[in-house]
Amino acid sequence: MTNPIFWVGVLTLAMIYASLAMSLNVESGWGGMWDLGIAGLLAAGSYCYVILTASDPDLGMRFAPGLSMWVAWPLSALFTGLVAFAIGAPALRLRREYFLITTLAFAEIIRQLVVIQADLTRGTVGIANINRPFDSFVTGRDYNYVLLGIAVVTAAVMYVVTRQVGISPFGRTLRAARDNEAVALALGKRVNRMRIKTFVLTGVLIGATAPVYLFYIRAISPQLFAPGITFTVWTALVIGGLGSIRGGLAGALVLIVFTEAVGLIEVDPAHINILVAIEPFLVGLLLVLVLRFRPDGLFSERSSFGAARRSAGDPAGDAARVAGG
Amino acid sequence: MQNVVFGIVTGSILAVATLGFALVRQTENFLNIAHAQMMALGAFVGVVLVDTYGMNIFLAGAITVVGLGAVGVVLSAVFFQPVRHQGGTVLLFTSIGLALMMYAAILALFGTQARFYPDVSGSLHRFAGIGIATNELVIIGLAVGSIAALQLFLNSTGLGRAIRAVASNDDLARVRGVPVRTVSNTIWFISSAFGAMAGVMLGVLGAVNTEIGWHNILIVLAAAVLGGLRSITGVILAGLLLGIMMDVSALIIPTAYRPVVAFGVLVAVLILRPEGILSIQRRKDAVVA
Repeated sequence: MTNPIFWVGVLTLAMIYASLAMSLNVESGWGGMWDLGIAGLLAAGSYCYVILTASDPDLGMRFAPGLSMWVAWPLSALFTGLVAFAIGAPALRLRREYFLITTLAFAEIIRQLVVIQADLTRGTVGIANINRPFDSFVTGRDYNYVLLGIAVVTAAVMYVVTRQVGISPFGRTLRAARDNEAVALALGKRVNRMRIKTFVLTGVLIGATAPVYLFYIRAISPQLFAPGITFTVWTALVIGGLGSIRGGLAGALVLIVFTEAVGLIEVDPAHINILVAIEPFLVGLLLVLVLRFRPDGLFSERSSFGAARRSAGDPAGDAARVAGG
Repeated sequence: MQNVVFGIVTGSILAVATLGFALVRQTENFLNIAHAQMMALGAFVGVVLVDTYGMNIFLAGAITVVGLGAVGVVLSAVFFQPVRHQGGTVLLFTSIGLALMMYAAILALFGTQARFYPDVSGSLHRFAGIGIATNELVIIGLAVGSIAALQLFLNSTGLGRAIRAVASNDDLARVRGVPVRTVSNTIWFISSAFGAMAGVMLGVLGAVNTEIGWHNILIVLAAAVLGGLRSITGVILAGLLLGIMMDVSALIIPTAYRPVVAFGVLVAVLILRPEGILSIQRRKDAVVA
């Protein structure tokens, strides 16, 4: 096969998507909130990080405090949490597809604002050569291994955090409220407050992943945050299994390795169009096939929580899950 | 005033596209994200017929609309029928998958180069200082004509009544012997044909590029929600209102904000008046108590 560096890059990307998918799973899988605004939250975290660490006067940015990346990283996670709160507080009054449309619209508003506020974000020009941690110690191709390490650690942290949330009483209540909101309310659970907390938590987790995504991409521009990335993260989660603890991790690995590997196929330059089309086609095809033949994904929610879930034959539970968004 | 005219043209196109979208939402009970890719496909098929094969624009438009209507029926049978029993969520995500596949097909077939319809704008007419080109008049006329035809079809034919029966109560309609499968095929044909027509109209007014679908799905969603999804009049008004607001806002704030205006309106309506601008009944399914 091709050189190992290529596969290191693929694995790094897979770990980044896995982190995003696991964060999304907390709100969408367990919270039942169908969020199509991942791209917006990722954009908020990424731009916060880039602006806070920017120092080069040549870039002509109005605000460039040049903070250390170790300060900017947690700050962008916090900032993304705040953005999530600002979106979630009004949007969570809505249910099902109305929530979904609102989050999609907010994400698009964020992206357009980035384009318009060019004195702050450099608009469509974007910013290249983003500094990466430890790149003064390790240079050249070896740095790819460092980056893989960072991505793996991030994914591991996301796994541990989301797993703790999932098995905690908070996670159980969240799933209970998703399956039967009336009962959860009747038991005195503050469902709305819980959902906002969850939404903000997802924002913080995505904001924490955003810098790693930038280390990998190395250049930022608004096109990165088109709705496409939201759909890719969702596809990874659906393939892995919405609601399962390992689903996001497994789904992202399968999806990214698969789509990147297909990119290796030699294509006549005359058919370059087909090469461009392969990735969205495969993502779409995988999504359609998984939904049709294995709607629970590779790992089902039941496999994660075993006895905690009701029996598989319980139609009320399934109906509630479908209606819960 | 000139911008109001532009807004009416944009709004007419939007109304046509959104009606197709709302029809599927009402009868099949899911948001069909792939609808806007049908618009993009329509724009491309039309431009190829006119530009490459030198066809008359009206003939090309008619072929595109009927052809893609049929394609829509086939796609629904292949992609949506098999997962129909699994409910709206699975259907919605299947439509996202289909949208990605259609986008890939457009990229592979037509390439990433922007295409243009040959100049068909015709002469400029002036009414009281407001200019409007022939093609814009034709677009408004076609939009009004097709919406009126749809209204007539839904209200005065047996099949139209069956569609409305399915829209208001799927199970009851089935029990009462309404041919659900025929109804479903008809709806997919009309919806896709309307999407394709809106796509050709968009293409005639501007450039045809592969991103048309992703750009428009949000605006169509905005118009559909604004209109309240249930009433045809509501959707038409919402489309016009959104079109006019986007084009008139260009006078006050930079045009770059155009999409932001649409989404801002959408978010404001959802949060302040989730039942849509026209519907009387409160949209119970949209809001928690």
